[in-house]
Amino acid sequence: MAHHEHAAEHAHHDEKPAGIMRWLTTTNHKDIGTMYLVFSLAMFLIGGLMALVIRAELFQPGLQFVDPGFFNQMTTMHALVMVFGAVMPATVGLANWMIPMQIGAPDMALPRMNLFSFWLLFFAFMLLLSTLFLPGGAPAAGWTLYPPLVLQTGDAFPVAVFAVHLMGASSIMGSINVIVTIMNMRAPGMTLLKMPLFSWSWLITAYLLIAVMPVLAGGVTMLLTDHFFATSFFNPAGGGDPVLFQHIFWFFGHPEVYIMILPAFGIVSEIVQTFSRKPIFGYEAMVYAIASIAFLSFIVWAHHMFTVGMPLAGQMFFTLSTMLIAIPTGVKVFNWTATLWRGSISFEPPMLFAIAFLFLFTIGGFSGLMLAIAPADFQYHDTYFVVAHFHYVLVPGAVFAIMAAVYYWLPKWTGHMYDMKLANIHFWMSTIFVNVLFFPQHFLGLAGMPRRIPDYATQFSDWNMVSSIGAFGFGLSQLLFVYIILKAAKGGAKATAGVWEHPADFPAGLEWTVPSPAPYHTFETAPEVK
Amino acid sequence: MVDETAGAGARRGLAIELIPNCSLTPRQALGFFASLCVVSFAIAGFFVARGLWPVLPFAGLEMAVLGWALYASLRRRRCTQTITVTDEAIEVVTRDARGARTESFPRHWARARLVRARGWHPSRLVIESHGRSCEIGGLLTEEERRGLHSRLRHVIGGVNESPALHAAPGA
Repeated sequence: MAHHEHAAEHAHHDEKPAGIMRWLTTTNHKDIGTMYLVFSLAMFLIGGLMALVIRAELFQPGLQFVDPGFFNQMTTMHALVMVFGAVMPATVGLANWMIPMQIGAPDMALPRMNLFSFWLLFFAFMLLLSTLFLPGGAPAAGWTLYPPLVLQTGDAFPVAVFAVHLMGASSIMGSINVIVTIMNMRAPGMTLLKMPLFSWSWLITAYLLIAVMPVLAGGVTMLLTDHFFATSFFNPAGGGDPVLFQHIFWFFGHPEVYIMILPAFGIVSEIVQTFSRKPIFGYEAMVYAIASIAFLSFIVWAHHMFTVGMPLAGQMFFTLSTMLIAIPTGVKVFNWTATLWRGSISFEPPMLFAIAFLFLFTIGGFSGLMLAIAPADFQYHDTYFVVAHFHYVLVPGAVFAIMAAVYYWLPKWTGHMYDMKLANIHFWMSTIFVNVLFFPQHFLGLAGMPRRIPDYATQFSDWNMVSSIGAFGFGLSQLLFVYIILKAAKGGAKATAGVWEHPADFPAGLEWTVPSPAPYHTFETAPEVK
Repeated sequence: MVDETAGAGARRGLAIELIPNCSLTPRQALGFFASLCVVSFAIAGFFVARGLWPVLPFAGLEMAVLGWALYASLRRRRCTQTITVTDEAIEVVTRDARGARTESFPRHWARARLVRARGWHPSRLVIESHGRSCEIGGLLTEEERRGLHSRLRHVIGGVNESPALHAAPGA
């Protein structure tokens, strides 16, 4: 009888408001995590459509579908949507879902602020996307917003600056929440060096965000005052310097790249150890490597500006400091490989994406090393080689890691196993087409094709055609991804608490100790950390 | 967290201390916050020195929000409750930002009642007697609150019951 009463209390406790009000007013970390993930998937599709407009136009030389002005709007908006709307919110969604579960906390430290930061982001993107319909169109100066070009934007200019401010505020609140949750709400016994690497990578990412976001906010505010209040921060006529904006932007922009990739490192570490059935090789070295990469990201920004002109000592410094990043990154790649060594490896979809990440992110890393060499960069700068480089880092790097994370934790979120066969097809289609899409862009860049142009010389035709075919193939593959997620959310084979096979001598993380789907309130009692 | 100590004699009885789980001490939080301020203001200072002063107010605003967030999260530490059960009475001392308040109930006529969770609202555990009630364990997790309710039922009994303190399991 007593037992029944207890069970009834449990069931009652899981009760939650239904319908739209649940999603508008929820402060539960899982609901907010889901909202972030759905939002980022929607933005991924919208940003992807913009990429397809770009690749359709570049399918052959000449102007086919859009005018050059709209083409520039597409390149700018594609970048802003993908960086701030797709990749960052996806990692924030994963953080919301997984960090409290991984550290044994009942929820995020500041649940109301958590909800506020999500809706702020949503509103920011509605504003940003609305600029496409304003007189003069959306911003078209590139995601770097360099003056004086960006000051020629039409009515969209103040709206875009406001949207960037809101996105920044949302990111800062999200980071503060992660930091306070990890620092103050870990379960008894969960010391920092027992934390899963995903939580570690997010703690360091949150530090980075907090350090650089005021710089971006200050930078875009100065653009605004130069435009509307006659200040001259970046206007040479009034004693300002437009190159200063480039320094400001890249002081934010380079760490921003790591803000997107560090959580990916954490995700891949979790997956590689689970599917190798071995604890990660060199756990502490992995933590220190992430921290070193984060630190180095602050002192390399001017490698984006070699062609702007700087003293030889500056070129030497930024070349060498950029190359230094290869050391901690090499430590990570070595440790992932060493974890695989003699592991009982199995190739479920999360592992397939993690292995692809390992190979393809490394290609992006190597082309980054080439770009770090100042005299070589003079040749590569603003060519398609740069486009190929950063897309290798961000698509088979960050995006593949996010897909791996979804396939890894989806059964924990929905309580259902997804269709493995379709997920394998999705993996192979994505991996083949992402290489068809981006690898030829290395050749185009080395042959001298500039980036951000709607038309090009005929000698670039063949590889552009191949690249565009890859783009449409990759885009179509992602519809399969959406279908797999929806199918798993609706039903499927029941997932166990552990979901994946965890060997007895290598205990699973705390998130695998709770039932699947994870209960609405995860840890009603503080878990035991061994 | 629920911490329980049995007193030396029957007069002192059983003391149950309710404290929230915080992995950060105020001193650690201060050090952590100071280290973040140093980094953030050093970066802002670097840009201010080059005439780009609008970075500074944003850095200041951000640090203020971080400071508030840490304070709000740590404020939970100050909220504790001590429940002392003797042969005659149950004394509940509640400490929070407003100070300490003590409420006392005759043990023989008191009972612990768990009001079940409803919708967004968590369950509530109250000690009540003679039309007066006092909420306890508001800072605990659901499972801890249910455990405390079960423990108090053993120690206090129902209305018009006074189980021997030394006979209560765990006493």
